[in-house]
Amino acid sequence: MKPSSAALCTLVILISSTSALQAQATTSAARSATPFSYDTAEEVTVAGTVSSVLTDAAPGMIVGSHLLLATSSGPVDASLGRFGLRRYGAVSVAAGQQIEAIGVMKTIKDKPVLLVRIVKVGSEIYTIRNQHGVLLSPQARERASHKTGPKGDSL
Amino acid sequence: MKMNRPACGSIRDAIFLAPVVLAFVFLTSCNSSNFNTPPELIAATSGTPQSAQLNTAFSAPLVATVTMGGAPLSGAFVTFTAPTTGASGTFASTSTNSETDTTDANGVATTMSTFTANGSVGAYSVTASVAGVTATTTFSLTNSAGPAASIAATSGSLQDATISTPFEAPLIATVLDANQNPVSGASVTFTAPPSSGASGIFENGTATETDTTDANGEATSTTFTANANAGAYTVTAAVAGLTPANFDLTNITGAVISITPTSGTPQSASVNAGFAAPLVATVTANGSPVSGATVTFEVPAAGASGSFAGGVNTATTDANGVATSAPFTANGSVGTYTVTATVASGAEPANFVLTNTAINYAFYLSGLEALNEFDSVPNFYALAGSVSLDGNGNVLGGEQDYNDGVGLNSPEPSPDTILPGTGALVVDPATGQGTLTLTTNNSSLGVGGVETLGVQFVNLNHALIIQFDGTATSSGSMDTQTLSSTLNDGNYAFTLSGVDSDDFAVGYGGVFSISGSGTAIAGTFDVDDFGAANTPTLGTAFSGTITGPDAFGRGSITSSALAIQLNYYVVGPEAIRIIDVDNPNTGNGNDDSAIGSAFGQGTGTFSSASLGSSIFGVESNSLGSLYAAAGMFTTVPGGGTSGTFTGIADDNEFGYGLLVPKAPISGSYTIMDNGYGNLTITAGDLGDVSVLGMYMTDPNLNLNDPNNTTSGLGGALLADLDGFTLNGTGVLTPQTDTSTASFAGSYAFGAQAYNDGRGPNGGWEFDLVGQASVSSLALGQATGLVSDPFYIFNATTDGTDTATFSGTAAPYHLSPGRYTMTLSMALAADDPAYGTVIYQASGGQLFWLDEDENGESVFLGPLEQQGSLTGLPTAQKGSTKTKSKQKP
Repeated sequence: MKPSSAALCTLVILISSTSALQAQATTSAARSATPFSYDTAEEVTVAGTVSSVLTDAAPGMIVGSHLLLATSSGPVDASLGRFGLRRYGAVSVAAGQQIEAIGVMKTIKDKPVLLVRIVKVGSEIYTIRNQHGVLLSPQARERASHKTGPKGDSL
Repeated sequence: MKMNRPACGSIRDAIFLAPVVLAFVFLTSCNSSNFNTPPELIAATSGTPQSAQLNTAFSAPLVATVTMGGAPLSGAFVTFTAPTTGASGTFASTSTNSETDTTDANGVATTMSTFTANGSVGAYSVTASVAGVTATTTFSLTNSAGPAASIAATSGSLQDATISTPFEAPLIATVLDANQNPVSGASVTFTAPPSSGASGIFENGTATETDTTDANGEATSTTFTANANAGAYTVTAAVAGLTPANFDLTNITGAVISITPTSGTPQSASVNAGFAAPLVATVTANGSPVSGATVTFEVPAAGASGSFAGGVNTATTDANGVATSAPFTANGSVGTYTVTATVASGAEPANFVLTNTAINYAFYLSGLEALNEFDSVPNFYALAGSVSLDGNGNVLGGEQDYNDGVGLNSPEPSPDTILPGTGALVVDPATGQGTLTLTTNNSSLGVGGVETLGVQFVNLNHALIIQFDGTATSSGSMDTQTLSSTLNDGNYAFTLSGVDSDDFAVGYGGVFSISGSGTAIAGTFDVDDFGAANTPTLGTAFSGTITGPDAFGRGSITSSALAIQLNYYVVGPEAIRIIDVDNPNTGNGNDDSAIGSAFGQGTGTFSSASLGSSIFGVESNSLGSLYAAAGMFTTVPGGGTSGTFTGIADDNEFGYGLLVPKAPISGSYTIMDNGYGNLTITAGDLGDVSVLGMYMTDPNLNLNDPNNTTSGLGGALLADLDGFTLNGTGVLTPQTDTSTASFAGSYAFGAQAYNDGRGPNGGWEFDLVGQASVSSLALGQATGLVSDPFYIFNATTDGTDTATFSGTAAPYHLSPGRYTMTLSMALAADDPAYGTVIYQASGGQLFWLDEDENGESVFLGPLEQQGSLTGLPTAQKGSTKTKSKQKP
């Protein structure tokens, strides 16, 4: 069965580390020799309030689902990829909730975007990408859960 | 003086003798001088020899005379005895084979009753004897057959003789009675027709003679000689009162004609294809060639058969007596049959044994399945198989392997069976576009086990295909198979693309050798696995075993180092499709899936000089980091194994939102002597595309169309080894012709498209195949089939759609061989457009890449110039379905 489109919600979240986010955005604005690379050493943690949950990318965004976060430094586009909001292991979040997103800031299509690896919603931890930045499909999340325990543990 | 039997020796006659006589006899007989009595003799007096027909009475009695001392002996008892078995008879008085009679005063004993022949033909003796006397006599009797009841020509009929020459064998007629006993002594008259026409004469110089049947009932004529008139006629053999027997004879002019098949038999050809050799017959007369004779070839009217070019089924013999038929083409029915060749003389026909063989296609596809989704998320799947068809579009059988890595798979190690299906291949013969319906015995696949493929034939041996039934979408190809009993020993290059057991995208590439008459494999492979702790892993050695192909070209490859179980399907001597069939039921218990190809490397070795100007295309699989890239370059071989290159390329990293159009590229490459190598684009030149594994193939092999031996030859397989960033596979093809004038004619095209932002499911994938006429770089009359099970385009109620296409390619003047084109698609209720770049290897082979700036999709696909489509094995000579365009 095909999933139906999720409704959009509006929330406000305060960012906990404005200066770090600004620094990452600055770093990501420069194109690296290989544009896409995911280095956990470059990860930042963004805390904020979910202002919108996008199951599909809006024009100008990279493919997949997104969380728009409201932070003290302004809105942050958190990319969850094609599988982030889909079924097994999918992020369960609504507008208005406070979350933490761990990932690497990149500039893609001339816009900063946080490529999210882990989302924390309360006590729940959701894994979106592995430590190499590769998106996890629901099947991958399910199989990983057999190896490492409950969903949300990092790979 | 008559004498009676003496009283001293007998008391029987005592009462009949007067005392005087008795005394006289005593006085004259019983003195001492008369005790040495004279011998009694018996002789057959009359009734011998005789004959009678079976079961009829002999006409004369049997008469024996007994004497003693030369004087008749009266009163002697004579017993007549016939044989107890075989030809014999019965006496009426006793109803047995014997009777006793008494001699009269003259010593004569006459059978008192009638003697009747029994039912056995033959000669025999009836013995007459006197009791107590050694001497006997015999009567020679013969039981003869009944009256003649039939006459037959038993030898000498159906003869030919040259005019005015004798027939080789006499005419023999056999006469029988009603009990099929030969009748001897019957008069048989042989009569030939009047000499005004074809006829002949017997030794008596006339057309008639009479002969008598012998003990076997046979009447044999004298030598019969043909007259000077040619033709067929009948000589009769007659017995009065019976229907005559007929002897069919023919007077022929000149010599005896014979026709024999000289060449062209036996032969086989695929249905709808021409036989390689004509049918050749030789006509001789008495061993000498006959020129100018018309030979007529006859074909079966129904079932497996064929036709001669232009409908010409006759040929005239040349000076050597040889007649060569027009080219012969098999029809659409499978089977073995005989074509006969005859000449007017009526000689025994020459037979040509021909066989129409089925067409076997190997097919393979990969993409996303809409069924068996994991939590509403589609899975990668791979499908490979072989299907056999006749020339009328009927599937005769086949088998396939299906694997989605999440539990939907064929019952390995056994394949799914593809069942016979009538009218399964329906293709428009003008465009080569249509559908192929595969009915399998796996009800979990397709629609209740029925898979429908959208098919776009490039030529008779090669088609681009998509799954086209709303249950899945994928792209691949279908190619005629040259089946074999083993894989050829030799060197091969291969790539595979799929998902690992953790459902991460994985790509393989490498080279290997097959040895041991196709039973052993050993080589080196590279792998880029998103699910590994570190990736890529390069240059891993592997070895393993191969099972020989079955009747559909399917076999298996097992290697522990590869860690995946592979099955293969033979396309030809240097091309096989390979599919990862791992599932929890196979030996290693993994759930992974992948698909690809292996191609032969020929017999030579490789070096940096093996790579010249080329175009390339690489693409992720449906679950990888979605991207595709294409480009072209020229090389500077450095001698030995290394060289450099420069060129231009385009990259659409749809998954990362990165578009790199018209990018100058440069870099280096390495090719080992076994064809194992790499092509490294300077980091940053082409987005994240940098390190490509490159595996060289036979310079005489077309990687896109393995049965094409004349164009688009050579190249390499590519595996993107950019670690965790990108993985994918592709092809490199030599660039031989960048002329815009060559980009013209009829083309088949295809594309595997990853799409986002459309439809209720947010995209996923669609695939298409189509056909267009390209003139002045513009697509004309372009139509296609679109597989859309995720409803990316509006109003596709069953996940399939048709489309028309349009666009005009604009050449990039700085890089001949590169074009851009806005490809417009018109579907039933949607009109998407895609910005594409096209790279031309030659007029026969191009790639196109979607690099639309709207960022909603990426696709890569081939454009292949079409060859002849005459003889496509289609069931229906009509158009495929179309949908009228409706605006919502």
